[in-house]
Amino acid sequence: MSIAPGSLQLENVSFAIGERTLVRDVSLTVAPGEMIGLIGPNGAGKSSLLRTIYRTNRPSSGRVTVNGENIWQRPASWVARHVGAVLQDMPAEFPLTVRDVIAMGRSAHKRLLEADSTHDRALIAAAIDLLQLRPLETRTFRTLSGGERQRTLVARALVQQPAVLVLDEPTNHLDIHHQLQLLRFVRSLGITVVAALHDLNLAAMFCDRIMMLHQGEMIATGTPEAVLTEENLADIFRIEATLVRNPRTNTIWVMPA
Amino acid sequence: MNESRPLPAPTDQQRLLVVLRSTPGSPASVPRAPFAGSRVAGLPYGLAMVLLAGILLILGVAGLMLGSVHVPAPVAVGVLINWLLGGEVIPATWRAVYDTIIIETRIPRVILAGVVGATLGASGMTIQAIVRNPLAGPSILGVSNGAATGAVIVMRWGLIGLGAFTLYTSAFAGALVTLVIVFWVARAGGRMTPTRLVLAGIAMSSVLSALTSLLVLTSPDPQLAARVLFWTLGGFGSAQWKLLPLPTIALVIGLGLMLVQARRLNLLMAGDESATALGLDVNRFRQAMFVLTAALIGVVVAVSGVIGFVGLIVPHIVRFLVGADHRRALPAVALMGASFTIGADLFARTVIAPIELPVGIITALVGGPFFIWLLRRDARSNGGTP
Repeated sequence: MSIAPGSLQLENVSFAIGERTLVRDVSLTVAPGEMIGLIGPNGAGKSSLLRTIYRTNRPSSGRVTVNGENIWQRPASWVARHVGAVLQDMPAEFPLTVRDVIAMGRSAHKRLLEADSTHDRALIAAAIDLLQLRPLETRTFRTLSGGERQRTLVARALVQQPAVLVLDEPTNHLDIHHQLQLLRFVRSLGITVVAALHDLNLAAMFCDRIMMLHQGEMIATGTPEAVLTEENLADIFRIEATLVRNPRTNTIWVMPA
Repeated sequence: MNESRPLPAPTDQQRLLVVLRSTPGSPASVPRAPFAGSRVAGLPYGLAMVLLAGILLILGVAGLMLGSVHVPAPVAVGVLINWLLGGEVIPATWRAVYDTIIIETRIPRVILAGVVGATLGASGMTIQAIVRNPLAGPSILGVSNGAATGAVIVMRWGLIGLGAFTLYTSAFAGALVTLVIVFWVARAGGRMTPTRLVLAGIAMSSVLSALTSLLVLTSPDPQLAARVLFWTLGGFGSAQWKLLPLPTIALVIGLGLMLVQARRLNLLMAGDESATALGLDVNRFRQAMFVLTAALIGVVVAVSGVIGFVGLIVPHIVRFLVGADHRRALPAVALMGASFTIGADLFARTVIAPIELPVGIITALVGGPFFIWLLRRDARSNGGTP
């Protein structure tokens, strides 16, 4: 048996804190194996929307379903077995080793007091090898570079065996080489991915579809070509841009002026 | 390692991905050699535990030997073995008074010191996880000061209700009242954040310590200040058999619950949002762990006074020895906490014998400089960022 990529559906999701509405009536259907990029200026509501998927922000209205199940009617551990997330918080206060951090990903699959099985160990070992972390296995997390930290957190999300992977600004603090390496890797996994990205060109290069958010509302969704238009970039990002094609990848390329 | 090395070749990657997507028992989950352990300082876990248990045993026996009356080691061991096995297994060639000293005063004292130390160590480690700050300790929750206030109320007015247990009962009641107030303040808005928990604890501590000072200074009894000071600095001089059951049961239950929750305590170290994404109901778990640790500390402070730095320092040493994973660190921190307080108590009652020092003075004198060293080392290794 193997775990298949899952489907994700946002149905009219809104999220508000008090009077402030951070996400307003967003709907999106993500097919299994699809990679979706979430773009928008600072404060557009990208992170707030992603938080409704990994069960941190409870939508004030609307539903979030994974494989047809409403995640807010399921326990936190069920969600953790179906949705993996790579976030900004770094477990750097305590001397946790790379392996300790990755092993956390198995928690939701374990009962209280249940020891790690050979299956758990095989998964952890595979994730370590897959992300080239073997030489760092016993290093403490806080001594790692930005790229190494990010790879460790991706490995942790993978041992959760998620049907859907959520990435919040995964390329933050990475140099261009590691940005490309990480996104290429995530793309190659063949699982369903929703990622908030700042770099419009990387979003265009790696995502099947892009959703553009502004002030919590969905402005456009569709192929990179359909969303990254001169009008949208001018209206939402307030930049004047020329759109060309990357000669090597033939993906759309935003050239600000 | 060269970070720019490419990720695995496509075929390798495919194979690893198949493993990663496999369910238990499927052919793809190839068993691998078991991992040796995730330790930080090069010491295997089993060996570390044996060493810690050995140190505890040695200090325990030393605790039976030393004091106002010196008992030779063979006699101490002989009395201990006879007592443990409930008969005269080893011929009692020693004076009967040794039996009385050891069984009636020293064994309960060593056990109490050990139980208190183990509880403080385990509680300290858990508190550091729930407030996600390795520089926190048991006193940060405010319950220690609550217990002190409860004790001072009894000392000042000499209230007698439950006989000798009035003091302990009142101290524990003070701790519980503080627990409820800190819980209520920290939970404002439905969520208990680490920052709010720490701030609520510190605020309550200040109020209670002011209250304690007020009670002492306005008391007609000139001796009260000294008695309160001695009590708040902690000690095991009052150890007796009938005092042991409550803290011992509290330790067994408390440590057991922490061990059951060890995986979840690990998740707290990942940060609240990540812990949620990893399947933990962070808010409820933090509240439950707060109540558990605060109650344990209340029990411990009620029987032994405020013994500082054990719950702050020992978790650090243990993480250095066996790593931060609570499944391994909690049993180790209990052993080492027990050794630390037994050792400190030993020192406290022998260094200027026959006068006994409060054990809190010893733990602070040892722990304080260590803590400062730790802070400075941390500052260096983090390049100055806290």
